[in-house]
Formats: sequence, C-alpha cells, structure tokens
Amino acid sequence: MKYKAIKIGLTSVVLLLSFGGLLWSTLSEETQYYKHVDEVMTAPAQWEGKRLQMHGFAKSVMQKRGTLEYAFQVENNGHAVWAQFTGIAPDTFKNDSEVVLEGELKGEIFHAERIIAKCPSKYEPKAGAASVSGTY
Amino acid sequence: MASLGYFTLLATFLVAVYAATSSAVGARRGSRRLIESGIGAFYLITALMTLASTVIVHAFVTGDYTIKYVQRYSDSAQPLFYKLTSYWGGLDGSIMFWVTLLSVFGSIAVYVNRERHRELIPWVVTTISTVQLFFLFLMIVHNNPFDTFLTSAPTDGRGLNPLLQNYWMVIHPPSLYTGFVGMTIPFAFGIAALITGYLDDAWLRAVRRWTMFAWLFLTFGLTLGMIWAYEELGWGGYWGWDPVENAGLLPWFTATAFLHSVMVQERRSMLRVWNVTLVILTFFLTIFGTFMTRSGVVQSVHAFGEDKELAWMFTVFMAVILTVSFGLVIYRLPLLRARNELDSWASREAAFLVNNWILLFSAFFILFATMFPTLSEALTGERLTVGPPFFNRWMTPIGLILLFLTGVGPLLAWRKSSASNLLNQFAWPTTAAIVTTVVLWAIGLRVWTSGICFGLCGFVAGTITQEFWRGTLVRKNSTKSDVLTALIGLVARSRRRYGGYIVHVGVVLIFLGFAGEGYKQEEQVLLKAGQQVKVGRYTVRNDAIRISDDGRKQMVTSYMTVFDEGKEVGKLYPARWFFRKHESEPTTEVAIRRSISEDLYVVLAAYTVEDQTGSFQVVVNPLVNWIWLGFGVLALGTGIALLPERAFSYALARLPPEAPLPATAAPLVMLFLLLGSWAPLRAQEAVLPHEQLEQTVLLVPKTELEKDLHRSIICMCGTCGRKSLAECTCSEAARMREEIAGLASQGKSRDEIIQYHIDKYGSQEPLAAPIDRGFNRLAWLLPYALGAGGLVVAAFAAVRWSRHAAAAPKVADEASDSSAELEARLDDELSQLD
Repeated sequence: MKYKAIKIGLTSVVLLLSFGGLLWSTLSEETQYYKHVDEVMTAPAQWEGKRLQMHGFAKSVMQKRGTLEYAFQVENNGHAVWAQFTGIAPDTFKNDSEVVLEGELKGEIFHAERIIAKCPSKYEPKAGAASVSGTY
Repeated sequence: MASLGYFTLLATFLVAVYAATSSAVGARRGSRRLIESGIGAFYLITALMTLASTVIVHAFVTGDYTIKYVQRYSDSAQPLFYKLTSYWGGLDGSIMFWVTLLSVFGSIAVYVNRERHRELIPWVVTTISTVQLFFLFLMIVHNNPFDTFLTSAPTDGRGLNPLLQNYWMVIHPPSLYTGFVGMTIPFAFGIAALITGYLDDAWLRAVRRWTMFAWLFLTFGLTLGMIWAYEELGWGGYWGWDPVENAGLLPWFTATAFLHSVMVQERRSMLRVWNVTLVILTFFLTIFGTFMTRSGVVQSVHAFGEDKELAWMFTVFMAVILTVSFGLVIYRLPLLRARNELDSWASREAAFLVNNWILLFSAFFILFATMFPTLSEALTGERLTVGPPFFNRWMTPIGLILLFLTGVGPLLAWRKSSASNLLNQFAWPTTAAIVTTVVLWAIGLRVWTSGICFGLCGFVAGTITQEFWRGTLVRKNSTKSDVLTALIGLVARSRRRYGGYIVHVGVVLIFLGFAGEGYKQEEQVLLKAGQQVKVGRYTVRNDAIRISDDGRKQMVTSYMTVFDEGKEVGKLYPARWFFRKHESEPTTEVAIRRSISEDLYVVLAAYTVEDQTGSFQVVVNPLVNWIWLGFGVLALGTGIALLPERAFSYALARLPPEAPLPATAAPLVMLFLLLGSWAPLRAQEAVLPHEQLEQTVLLVPKTELEKDLHRSIICMCGTCGRKSLAECTCSEAARMREEIAGLASQGKSRDEIIQYHIDKYGSQEPLAAPIDRGFNRLAWLLPYALGAGGLVVAAFAAVRWSRHAAAAPKVADEASDSSAELEARLDDELSQLD
C-alpha cells in the first residue's frame, strides 16, 4: 500500500513538473506584452525587438498604390509611432479607428504582422465612418 | 405588451421561488402534497416562460419599437425569419431564451422521471428552479428584455447585425444553448442524489441520455459556429481560439469525459466521486463560459462589452454553485467510495481514466490560456497575451493523444488484458496505422503532425472496423443469418456501444479535416482587372468588379474565373455587402469552390471600383469538408446510441404504437428532423423480418402478470446494473423473461414465481424492491417512521426556537444541532436501505 502511494505520488510529481515546465517554456516564448502606444514610446529602447501587442488609434493611414503595403501612425495619449504593414487589413482599419497591432518595434518603425481591429461595438453598431487619407 | 411581458417575468420569479421552496420543504418533510404542488409550479414556469417568449416574438413580428430590445436588434426591412430569430440576437433576449429552454427541458426531465426516480424529483425541481431564479433575477434587475423607451420611441429599429444575418448563425445559438442548458439537468440530478444520498447508479441512468443529448447539441453548436466563422468571417479558417469559442469548448471537454467515465461506474462501480465532480464541473463551466463572454472579463473580438454589475452577479452565483456542490460532495464522500480498484493499467477502465485526465487537462489548459491575459494583469499588473499559436502548439499533441486513445480504448478488455489478448487485438489496427503512414509518406505528403494524425486516423479506423467485423461474425454464427442482417442486428442490440463507435468514426473524419490544415496554401494579392494569381493548382483571375443593389444592401462583387491546372473550371463571385444602417460594417461574402478533397476559398478584402482593383485573399483549404461530414456521422452515431430502448423493442416486435413513445424519444425526433437522417429508420425496417421471429416472445409480456413480473424482477447477469427485466436488453434478461413466460403458462401465480426466483438465487437479490411483508415491511416503514420522527423533532425545535429565540439563542442551537444529527442518521439509514 505504501509502495503504491509512493508510486502514485512520484508519477504525479513527474507529470506535474513536466507539464509545468512545458507550459512555462512555451509561455515565455509565445507571450506578448500588451501595451498602449504611450507606454511603449516613453521608453522605446526597453521594448526594442520584443514581441508586442500595441494598442492605439490609427492616423494618416496610407496605402502604396497598387500594393497591399500600408504606412500609418498609431497614437495614444499624445505619443505616436510610425508603423508599417503588408497584407490585408481589416475593414475597420481606417483613420481614427482603434487598433491592436501585433509585431515588433525596430528602430523608429513598428513592424506590424497583424492588425486586429478593436471593435467593442461589434454587436452594437455605431454610425460614423472614416476613410483612408490618401495614397503615396 | 411590454408590461405584460415584464409582469410575466415577475410572476415567473415568484412561481420559481415557490417551486424551489415547496419542493425542498416537501422533500424534507416527506409531504407528497407539497412536492406535487412544487412540481405543478415547476410546470407553470414553462407555461409562463412560453407566454413571455410569445410576447417578445410578437413584438418583433409586429415591430413594436417602443421596446428597446426589439428596436436594437431588428428593423422593419428584415425578413420574417430574421425577425423571429432576433429573439436571441442580444444579451437580454438570450437570457430569456435560456430560461425558457431550461424550463422546457426541466419539465420534460421531471415528467419522464417522476415515477422512476421519485425520491430525487423534489430536489431536481429545487435545483433547476434555483438556476432559473438566478437568470430571472438577472432579467428583472439588470437585463430586462421588455425595457421600453420612456419618451419619444423611435419609429424603426437599428436592425440585427448583418454578420448575424446568416442561416448558420440563426441556428447556432439555439443549438449551443440547448447544449449548455441541457447540462443543467444532469447537474440537478447529481445534486439531488447528493442531497438524498441515493448515490447508487440510478441517478446516472436518469441523466446519461440527457448528457448525450446535450452533448450532441453542444457539438452541433460548436460545428455551426465553425461553419459560420468559415463562411462568414472570411479569414480562411474556422477556429481562432477566441474566448467566445473557447467558452463553448470548455464544458464540451468535461461532458465528453463524463460520457466515457460513466461507463466505468456502470461496469465497475469505480470513479463515483469523479463522475459527480464532472457533472458539477460541466454545469459550472456552462455558467462560467456565459460569464466570461458576457461580462467583459476577457477581451475578445466579439465579447459583449464590459459590465461590472453583471460580472459580480455571476461571480456570486458561481461561488454559490461551487460551495454548495463540492460541500455536498465532501459531505457524501463516505457514500461515494469506489467498490473496486484498478486491476491493471492494460485495461479499458485505465484507458478511460487517461482519456478523462487528458480531456480535463484540455479544459483547464484552455481555461488557463483564455484567462491568461486577465490573470497576468491581476497578478503582475502587466497584460501579457497568448495567441492562437500557443493554443495550437498545446492542443495539437493533446488532440493526437486523444485520437490515439480513441483507438486504444475499445481494444483493451475490462479489468485486465492479457499479453496474447493485446497482440490479437492490436495487430490489425497497428498494421492499418503503419500502412496509412507509409503510403502517405510515399506519395509525398510530408507534414509531420498531419502525417501522425493520418496514421492515427488509420489506427482508429482499423480498431472500429475490427470491432464491427468481429461482432458481426459472432452474431452471424449465433443467429445463422447473413452478414448484413447480423451487422444491423449487432448495432441494434448494443446501440450505445456501436453508436459510440460510429461517433468515433465521425471523430476520425473530423481529425482528417484538422490534419488537412497542415497543407493549407494562402496568398494575399492585389489584382487589377485581367490580372491573375496562382495558388496550388488553381489560378484565379479578376475579370471585373461591379456594384449592384437589392434594396436592403449594396453589393460589391468581383467576377472571377478559376482555372484548374490551366483549364477553366468555373466562376467565383467574392463580394462585400453593405447593409442599410450598417454601411460602416460591410460583410464579407466568401466565394468557396467546394470539393471533397479541398476548398478554393476567395475573399474580396478591399477594392477600388474606378480602376477595377481588388485585394484578395486566396486560400486552398484541403480536406476541410471532412469536418462537417464527420459531424454528420457523429450525430448519426449519437442518434443510434440515444435510441430509446422501449421504442426499439416495440418496433422490433412490430407492435402497433399503442403505447405512447416515451418522452426520451423527443431528442431522437429532433435529431431526425435536424439531419433528415433516414438511415437508422431504414435499418430498423430491414431488421424486422429476422428479428421479429426470435424476439416477439422474449420482449413483449403477454399478460398483465408477466408485465408486472418484468417490472419487479431484475436482470441477474451482473453487468446490466440491476435493470428490471422490462428495461434490460441483454441476453440473460431475454432468457429470464422466457423462463417467466414458461412459469406463467404453467399457471403459476405471482407469488409462486417470485418465490421460485428467490429460491433459485438464494436471496431476495433478484427482486427490484424488498417484499412488502413481515419483517420486510419494517424495512419499508423504518425510514418513514424515522422521517416522521425527524419532522416531529424539527417541528418541536422550531416551536421552541421561535419561543425562546430572543431570550435564549443557545438552547435553539442545541435543538437544531440534535435535529441535524438526526437527519444525518436518517440519511445514512435511508441510503443503506437502497
């Protein structure tokens, strides 16, 4: 009986440790910091090269003619940074729309790999539209 | 009309309070009258909720825009179909819909089980009514769907979100709710069993079917959600690990675990605490999922906005559920002790155990990862997030292990598998797995996770085929029929087992679809008119972009030509629709060219009409249709497993349907409606000519005496869980029924036949209930006497307490203590009687 208890105990410890370890290692690789633009831009050096989800408002959205390349600013509380993105942007990605950008800050420019349109009103539509400022 | 609705809700609240209290008090006092009135009130809740639902649906149809909810979720231009379904389009209405469904299911469950599980029913009523009370309370104080505009009501509504104006989205919520709400019934029976101490397998039998039914709808709801995401959201996939999706998946894991572990309890009387825990957890997770998505605790693209007050109410309710449920479990631990131990790890119960751990781990992992941003913010102040890759990295191996276990479980014997046994069982499935993997590798499909998945699919398919094949051979030889008849007869005889295997076939197909994901090809391009892009073997050309209007919406459509290996094979029309009043939120109309091997999926993401340019996402999704197909097979399997025993035996005996179909047939009927599935019906027909001969005699009692005996004598095979002969379908029961028929035809009386069985088995074991006579009558009487005694003591204590409450509260404590002690003893004795 005692032997069995030890066996079960050891098995559980090993299982728990290995799962915990796996969880920890994958978590540290896969997690991203969720920050607002002003939090990042007050100390940009600290965030250089780290995976970020950056929350802010899109400004001066421009699309390069004939491509899927976008250049725009994200702004929050008076701090702003230039960002670039290539690919299909969500519908709600326009001037003044609230966005979360997934990517990395490299130098002066935030390289976004994904744009998530923050849309708290998804089920409660609001009126008012914004549009792309122009092309470049 | 709005005030009628609101008053109905208020009335329902009062009735629910009455139902909960009178049932509880009735059960405590053993008052049949109170219990009956509680049940009556419980049925009344259903009637009132139906009335309230009628009021809101009427308001939607007639366009009563003075009601805020109606104004917000519909408008006059909407087709009737969407007006009706706007009922559950928003939060307030969906809560009401929830209560309505719960009242209907609760009433059915109580009605069906009112005789069979008489002792549990009052507590079932109390539990379900309490859950209803919570939601009714929410509606009355916080989310009243009948709220009206006090001044200047708008003349038209804002309209249902266009994204939700989709056929799949219309049937998705009711299906998911059916699954969620259905899980309340097993929970209520579990709680009732814990309170009364009737913790034998009776309550499990009452809820097994319900769980299966709810599980089926939950699965259906999840699948519909996937189809909707795939067709309507237009990002090329079907599952994004969004909190809202995860919320539906959490109880699915625990319910699946329960459906498996319940077999271990039935067979081996093990895992009793575990099963109760799973039932409680499943229910808890349905509430938690609702909380997570509705309170704004977790950020999601389609969460419903932050609502602190609602979050608090849910938190309190969840705390109550956990405290009460697990308090009861701990209190009843002595009664829940397992009667057997695990004999070997090479046994089926061990496989089930591992399967349960993994399912539960999946649930907790998803819960953890979904809550991770919230947790990290609460703990460290930093908001850390995890994305779909994190989920995928964990859930891929977990899914593969589960798939592997799906194949292993049926191959292992109960108790212990011997080495030769293992070899004999595993040889073919393993060969199937190896052959599949090697062939696919040789063809050049080399994505390793998908490869493993295909191999495992081969393994599970091998297992299932082997099970069917061996079973059919045995039956063919014993019934001397042809293979097909034997196969159908086999499935008909053990519907749960073979239905379960068919569910597994569905799971295999679904996994095939998941594995196809590994070969996905995707391009994002900007195409001018006449330009084309090549993805996989397809070339897609943008011919033109045009605008049209149908009065409800403006449609921007791209006209595209598809070439397969250079040959023109058809046209595709991806579009964006701008619904009136929702112009800022165009919907994506994906163009899909479906085939059994792969889908060509084209999304028009953005466009400029003047230069005829569009940005397109072109995706080739291999095997994706197997997921939907797999669900169909899974539903078929569940339907077979759900087939009610009696309906089946009547059908087999070709009796006129004079006896009303048991209410358990309802899910079946729904299922058939849902799937238009005629296959099992046909199977029944085909089975008739052969089965009829051997079973008319066996299954159908010819006289009242036999019918009575079938109910009072249980099957003695030892594996059926003490089912009465009227219910049991195993061969031993058939033999016993035949024996009774023989004795009855010899002119033996009821008592003589019962005595015959007592002599034969050496005790009263074969009797469903102890004989109501002599010493045995004392056994019947004792609990009643004790119950009455307890009531007298409780009443005495109450009187004393009310008299001395102010003067000497200490005395009161002593009195209630002694009555509590007595009640505990009473409960123990009652449970020992069983």
